[in-house]
Amino acid sequence: MLPLSYFNYYLALGAVLFAIGAVGVIARRNALIALMSVELMLNAANLTLVVFARAQHDMRGQAVAFLTIAVAAAEAAVGLAIVVGVFRNRRSTQLDDLTMMKH
Amino acid sequence: MSFDLEDLRRTAPLLLLSAAGLVLLLLEAFSRVRLIGRHYHKKLPPETSEAYAVPLAGSRTYLMPLTVLFLAAALGLVVWLWPEAAEPHYLYRRMLVLDRFGLLLSGVCITAAAIGALGAPAYLREQRMEFGEYYALLLLSLAGMVMLVSAADLVSLLLGVETMSLGAYVLTGSWRRSPRSSEAAMKYFLMGAFVSAILLYGIALIYGSTGTTELAEVRAHLSEMRSAPVFYLGMFFLLAGLAFKIAAVPFHMWAPDVYEGAPTPVTGFMMAAVKTAAFGGLIRLCVGGLTSGRVPEVSTGPTGWVNVLFVLSALSMTLGNLAALRQENIKRLLAYSSIAHAGYLLVGVVALGVVGDAARAPLIYYLLGYAVTVVGAMAVVAALAMGPGQERLPIEQWAGLGQRHPAMALAMTLFLLSLGGFPPTAGFFGKFYLFRAALQNPSLLLLVLLAIVNSLVSVYYYLRIVTAMYFRTPQEEEVEGHVPAAQGALRLAVLLAALLVLGLGVWPGWAATVAEAAKLAG
Repeated sequence: MLPLSYFNYYLALGAVLFAIGAVGVIARRNALIALMSVELMLNAANLTLVVFARAQHDMRGQAVAFLTIAVAAAEAAVGLAIVVGVFRNRRSTQLDDLTMMKH
Repeated sequence: MSFDLEDLRRTAPLLLLSAAGLVLLLLEAFSRVRLIGRHYHKKLPPETSEAYAVPLAGSRTYLMPLTVLFLAAALGLVVWLWPEAAEPHYLYRRMLVLDRFGLLLSGVCITAAAIGALGAPAYLREQRMEFGEYYALLLLSLAGMVMLVSAADLVSLLLGVETMSLGAYVLTGSWRRSPRSSEAAMKYFLMGAFVSAILLYGIALIYGSTGTTELAEVRAHLSEMRSAPVFYLGMFFLLAGLAFKIAAVPFHMWAPDVYEGAPTPVTGFMMAAVKTAAFGGLIRLCVGGLTSGRVPEVSTGPTGWVNVLFVLSALSMTLGNLAALRQENIKRLLAYSSIAHAGYLLVGVVALGVVGDAARAPLIYYLLGYAVTVVGAMAVVAALAMGPGQERLPIEQWAGLGQRHPAMALAMTLFLLSLGGFPPTAGFFGKFYLFRAALQNPSLLLLVLLAIVNSLVSVYYYLRIVTAMYFRTPQEEEVEGHVPAAQGALRLAVLLAALLVLGLGVWPGWAATVAEAAKLAG
């Protein structure tokens, strides 16, 4: 179904961005950086959706990308509010400091 | 296929919940508050900001009855749509579907939320965290759940998961002055957002390989996907995303911390409603989109979803139970027990793939029984709090409750027996029906045996709490402790949950009949 042409470069770019974002969430210890990495992952998924939509001459993927942008905005708003809440309680946004509950 | 006023009528519960959430949000925004200083809460860290808003005493008592009223109305709409849903109706250009499966699971979530909401005000007041957005967030999160369990498209599945989770993140962190609560919210949010991105990437891959996001269409394209690696990768991503939401091992790391740190009524809401809705979404995805009689490889093949969920199920119940054995904190113990229950429930989803539709009714029955049981158990934990910031969490503190709070101890015993699977409770028949249905296919014998062994192991830690309550004398300094502020509504919530647990156990027939009628579309 996929025309194996230059679309693959975009798909590879999406996959690489997604992987960078995933590593960022897992490896970086600052909540804000982790939040940015999540946004990167969402946008990588968006890019993939749009490329697939273009390759298949179908508008659905692009419509989904718009919905995702709205979802990402809502997530960023809630996420930043939570970061502020944590910062108020402990004056730090380092994830390593969140050790009140034992594992 | 165009926009239709009928669609609005057929999504009435969803629309009512969303509108009610907005109404409550506005009521809260226009209600009067008082700014007070740090002395209000002695445990406040010194660097916390100096003043914050609290409601005037008694000014918001109408919010909880109003919420329960809205929830009862939503439940009424679910019942009203029930006869019509005998045949599935696709809504909004096949984004959602109205069928009895979706309606029944919506009903379970709404009931669990209503019982939880009844008990919330007493707890929130006791813990000095009274705030009106609680109810608005509850209703908006519920709207997401209704969307999730009636999703007919991967996009509405994602939007449902997101709407449900955004509400749950905020509710988890809603005890703003508690470092535990905000820590739990941070962990829940970061992992949840990470998993949403994985879910979305999975949807993109499925869309790329099948050319559609609609579940029924994905199923129609399965025969071309027999060996498409991109499709399988997308499927695994989607399964991982939903496995996170149901807290199945190895996607469970967040659950103990979040369930421990969240305010107790929120914990009950998440364990019951969020889990039920996420299972609804998982069943929609697996049965509605990824099971086709003509292409058995995708479900029961070596890399099919049945095998994936088989492994998750075995891991969840074993590791969940082993970890629960070591817990001293009751919320943490019930969190690990909830992971183990996700494992038992996954036995049902695996059976749906192997045995077919015969496993659907037992699975729904189990979800219903589990939801009312945990909501009740968390209401008891909330009722026994001993003052601001002092919940009765370590199990030693439950010693002697049988004498001092006989009604609460009795109710807790009932809920724990139901979790452990003793007759005559909802938990017993849930396990019985589920395992019997799974045994229709001998290939699941091993998994069912593992589940039974695990249930026996779990009895140990449930009974540990029961023996603490009845056979151990309370510690000296506690005898003159604070009298818990268990008020009328909180007692009513515990009573309702206990009656449901007993009713489902003593007369399992009616619920089984309703679950049997709750057919899945497609």
